[in-house]
Amino acid sequence: MTVDKQTTTEPDVEREAGSHAAPSRRKLASVLGLDRFSGLYVWAALILIFSLWVPSLFDTATNVRIIAGSQAITAIVAMGLIVPVACGAFDLSIAGTLGVSTCVVIWFQANHHGWFLGIIVALLIGLLVGAVNSLIVVRLHVDSFIGTLGMSSILLAGTEWITGGSQIANGVSPTFTKIGQNQLFGLPLPVFYMIALAIVLWWLLEYTPAGRYLYGIGGNPQAARLAGIRTGRITTSAFLLSGLVAAFAGVILASQLGSASPDVGGPYLLPAFSAVFLGATQVFPGRVNVPGTLIAIFLLATGVKGLQLAGAPSYINDLFNGAALIIAVALAARAHAARRKA
Amino acid sequence: MTPALTVTNMSKSFAGPRVLDSVSLSIEPGEIRALVGENGSGKSTLIKILAGFHLPDEGSAEIAGQSLHLGDGAASEALGLRFVHQDLGLVNSLDAVDNMALGVGYSSFRGGIRWRQERKRVRAALAELGYHFDIRQTVDRLAMSERTALAVARALTPRQAPAKVLILDEPTANLPNAEAERLYALARRVADSGVAVVFVSHHFDEVFELAQSVTVLRDGKQVITRPVAGLTEDQLIELVIGRKLEEVEHDVKAAERKAVVLEANGLGSDVLNDVSFVVHAGEIVGVAGITGSGRDEVARALFGGVDRTGEAKINGAVVPKLRPDLAMGMGMGLVPAERHANAAFMASTLRENITVVRPGLHFRGGILRKSAERSDVAKWLERLDVRPRNGEFAMSDLSGGNQQKVVLARWLRLEPKVLVLDEPTQGVDVGAKSDIHKLVDEAAAQGTAVLVASTDHEELVRLCHRVLVLRRGRIADEMSGGRMDHDLITAATIGRDQTEAA
Repeated sequence: MTVDKQTTTEPDVEREAGSHAAPSRRKLASVLGLDRFSGLYVWAALILIFSLWVPSLFDTATNVRIIAGSQAITAIVAMGLIVPVACGAFDLSIAGTLGVSTCVVIWFQANHHGWFLGIIVALLIGLLVGAVNSLIVVRLHVDSFIGTLGMSSILLAGTEWITGGSQIANGVSPTFTKIGQNQLFGLPLPVFYMIALAIVLWWLLEYTPAGRYLYGIGGNPQAARLAGIRTGRITTSAFLLSGLVAAFAGVILASQLGSASPDVGGPYLLPAFSAVFLGATQVFPGRVNVPGTLIAIFLLATGVKGLQLAGAPSYINDLFNGAALIIAVALAARAHAARRKA
Repeated sequence: MTPALTVTNMSKSFAGPRVLDSVSLSIEPGEIRALVGENGSGKSTLIKILAGFHLPDEGSAEIAGQSLHLGDGAASEALGLRFVHQDLGLVNSLDAVDNMALGVGYSSFRGGIRWRQERKRVRAALAELGYHFDIRQTVDRLAMSERTALAVARALTPRQAPAKVLILDEPTANLPNAEAERLYALARRVADSGVAVVFVSHHFDEVFELAQSVTVLRDGKQVITRPVAGLTEDQLIELVIGRKLEEVEHDVKAAERKAVVLEANGLGSDVLNDVSFVVHAGEIVGVAGITGSGRDEVARALFGGVDRTGEAKINGAVVPKLRPDLAMGMGMGLVPAERHANAAFMASTLRENITVVRPGLHFRGGILRKSAERSDVAKWLERLDVRPRNGEFAMSDLSGGNQQKVVLARWLRLEPKVLVLDEPTQGVDVGAKSDIHKLVDEAAAQGTAVLVASTDHEELVRLCHRVLVLRRGRIADEMSGGRMDHDLITAATIGRDQTEAA
């Protein structure tokens, strides 16, 4: 049952075989990384365009800070979402979980139970939501799209109930708000949480057996099962993780805002989905991945911010994210079709 | 009397050799005709031409003296030609009344469906065939023969013209024995009412049981049409496979009997019925059988892909059912049939396709060591001669044969105690096929117990020490040594009991 570990690595032979057989027609494009890193080029182009267009407003350190800080939470939610999407399941309840988590943390402080206990309870709720989601999808065989859509409505009801339908902001501990508002090296702390989470998830997806199983299930669930993968267990873990990460994002958001209102989660859903799917066209085309998602987040954010500074109306945000989601999925479908043909 | 159906000089080719070559036949009203032949003999093509799916290159057909406009399904139906295909074409979630109305419409529709009248009509139609069951049940709750009866009743429903010819495509393929008997009675009733019945069959027992005459097709040509009376089963088999059955002494590999590794005790499922066998270390055992015999279920039932009753053991330890992960942990590997659906991750790399089982072998110190993984994969691609020999290519870039080798490499890498292969060379070119056979031989030579289910009987003869023949879910025969021969296996799968003959 063991494989001969003595096998000497022969990188040269291998690489030679690789380059020998690799298709040459797209060589230039792949040297420039146009196929895998097109997002970075587009991002650079956007920065350049806006720097020339609205130099006084766009090209400032403050702006970099604003974009990085405001997108950190979206990025954290999106990275949590990558995990279920990798194994072929949608989690539409992430924004709801984020909302509940935000409200719970603030509610605990408003009712003098302390912020630390609030964080623990919020994270446990995130896990609970993930557990219920996986029960619905894995055990009851409800399509994940439908199951988590229902869950997101239930969670919205939860935020209404916790907040009594209006904003709560009293009793928030100043220590607690430091979690989200302090800065390090001139960048808000959430940016570092984002980076830490990105490293952990990158490791999980690329450098552990669990990551292989996730992508395997996403690629062909039946084949995964017949390859001895416990598909139910892995899918369950994916939902637990996305629930936990969304709840964590909720805690950070609560700290950033210092208040909670029932509709706080909603706006995070679409940007997260847009980023994950747009990210799937980057770095490792054809699969959702961490660096691709981060590129997509900041690409979209830069575009939105630039347009806003150039005087575009505020609805540009929703317009941009919606269009990006559709374009991303269309691009992915096209790449998939092209691969099939080849 | 005018024949119910006449086919004259029907020919058809699909880019290449003729799959149907000047076939002519004529069937009288009330006659029951069996249409037999191996896979690819032209039976389905002929039926599809009559049903209007294909346009023949040459030839004509008449129904009750009226010329049939070929290539037009509605025209053949209008003249009274009716079909019941193997899958029956019923909607499982609807009841008998609604299913009867599919394609025909509700006969009592005048601003609303008159349900009472509809039900009366459906009950009468079924009663005529000798069936009385609760027609308000959805189809999925009906017995298989009841479903067949419903499909036949629907086919016989008078439309522009009354039914004159009923064509049944493998009507008993999915039926247990007792239900098959009921279907025979049904077919006789239909014939007694003056309708000509043509049925396609792989079961020779039903040819002798039911048909008055038989038409044999081989390689697209009509071999013979003759009355069943006076024909023996041996003669019919010879007509079908085109050679005299001889017990040829083959240079088969002597089965080395070592310890029993895989043991199946009383395996059962929807199809399988009390299937028991053992496979020894280093032995390659084949499983043969026609579609519906259970051949295609054995592999997945053992590995846990489908539910089963009965017991499977590896070296005496019980393999739990429905747990591929545990079966794998106990040393079993499965190369399933239908690679695209069951085995390949088309968008993933060859490397990931191979190491998807036990990626943990390269997981050390909390990191999946990709260089170790790559060299391991390179070794297997080399050993199996996969082309291109580059683990970073996507699975979808490869030919079918190379994809199958990658799936095989996945399991060989684990050096399994038991390797179960289901149609291992399906859709694989000749070169890759012989490579795969060699790899299976090598695995067995190293002590792996191998079970191969295949419809390719040449393959079974080539690979196996022993072949188990399944019929209607049971092991009907076992062959080894000199008795193993392509034709004999074929004969055994379609109904001749070799044990008695020998």
